[in-house]
Amino acid sequence: MKPAPFEYRRPGSVEEALDQLAAYGADAKPLAGGQSLVPAMNFRLAQPAVLIDLNGVPELAYLRADGGDGLRIGAMTRQRAVERSALAAQAAPLVHEAMPYIAHPQIRNRGTVGGSIAHADPAAELPAVMLALGARFEVRNRSDARWIPAEQFFTGLFATVLEPGDLLAEIAVPAQPPRSGCAFEEVARRHGDYALVGVAAVVVLDGHRRCRDARVVLLSVGDGPVLAASIAQQLAGEELTPDAIRDAAEAAATRDIDPPSDIHASAPYRRHLAAVLMRRALTRAADPARTAATRVPT
Amino acid sequence: MIVEGAYRFEGPRQAVWDLLQDPDLLARALPGAQRLTRTGEDRYEGVMRAAIGPVTAGEFSVTVTLHDKVPPERFAMTLEGSGSLGFTRGGARVELREVQGGGTSMTYRAELRVGGRLAGLGQRLLDSVAKSMTRQGLDALRRELQARLAGGERQPDRSP
Repeated sequence: MKPAPFEYRRPGSVEEALDQLAAYGADAKPLAGGQSLVPAMNFRLAQPAVLIDLNGVPELAYLRADGGDGLRIGAMTRQRAVERSALAAQAAPLVHEAMPYIAHPQIRNRGTVGGSIAHADPAAELPAVMLALGARFEVRNRSDARWIPAEQFFTGLFATVLEPGDLLAEIAVPAQPPRSGCAFEEVARRHGDYALVGVAAVVVLDGHRRCRDARVVLLSVGDGPVLAASIAQQLAGEELTPDAIRDAAEAAATRDIDPPSDIHASAPYRRHLAAVLMRRALTRAADPARTAATRVPT
Repeated sequence: MIVEGAYRFEGPRQAVWDLLQDPDLLARALPGAQRLTRTGEDRYEGVMRAAIGPVTAGEFSVTVTLHDKVPPERFAMTLEGSGSLGFTRGGARVELREVQGGGTSMTYRAELRVGGRLAGLGQRLLDSVAKSMTRQGLDALRRELQARLAGGERQPDRSP
């Protein structure tokens, strides 16, 4: 199918893009990699009056170490670039580990980090990963720039705090704390399909190898990325034994999520899968955290 | 698709019943409802516009028929909607029960068939969208109820 008629703008700089976004307001939609927006337009599900193509703005595509060992990702950075980046693997291993789960290589060649976050699909990997890591997003418009923590950014089904005129410019992934580990798990019918359930986990231990913090975020079980709050409550101060991990995962699967049913999986199956994947992710994340705890003195 | 659940209103059953029979109020409370007009005894027609994420073009004409009414306890309705993106047909049952302490518990169960492009492309999201619209609608109804009760209308006989 073909999209409904639209106007096309191709700014060459961030400033120009922000001017155009401000000028067209709610009629305009920024185009990043186009891997969700363009199919939606072709099916005429989305009919924006103006497309503002960000592919001519090279200054939005970069991966950069920040001073504190974290990672800065320009919003237009291709997912494939993150997947192949040694810097990303070292500075943001959870982001790096999740990359191959995003659709297929062809899609990751075009799809961008910022595009996936701004689109806020409940089945998307990057919003969950960013929420687990406590990342922050720089949102710019013509009059100002502000930093929004991932906790406040996602507001519902395909919904974020972004207003007409706003542009997601940069993602700041904080440095890995000492004595920490992370893991990503996902099950899909076929590789590259939308996840039935996915889990991003970050575990931080204290000097006695007990759990200081465990942030577990699920995807495909709600309106957006869902933080499993029960996990941190139940594991704080505990040793991460297989029993403790299993109990926390079961509790979170019962209390923290209300997964949907569709033709691919029923809600009870998703709940079961969530418990299994949380257990696996926590077990794997705890392992490097323990190793790191023996190396890092208290 | 089945949408079911329970919701607790802080107010007397009769007030909740009145709320659910008021088309102007429902048009304000239902997410995306543009208008809802009474076109006959227990028959309403309206227009809904659904906007979910990048989907901006969904306008539906909707017909709702109420039947099996037992005020202020329960009613059933038949729903029909169609638009350029697809159609939906089905029915729902709503039951209101008084609960101890002065509130009203509403249980609802809707069975909806969704077809057309909407179903083909949006299958994985239908359940989430239905849940989210139901929650928004019920929260809006609760606010309307509180506003009505606070606005000096008939107060509950049994104060909590």
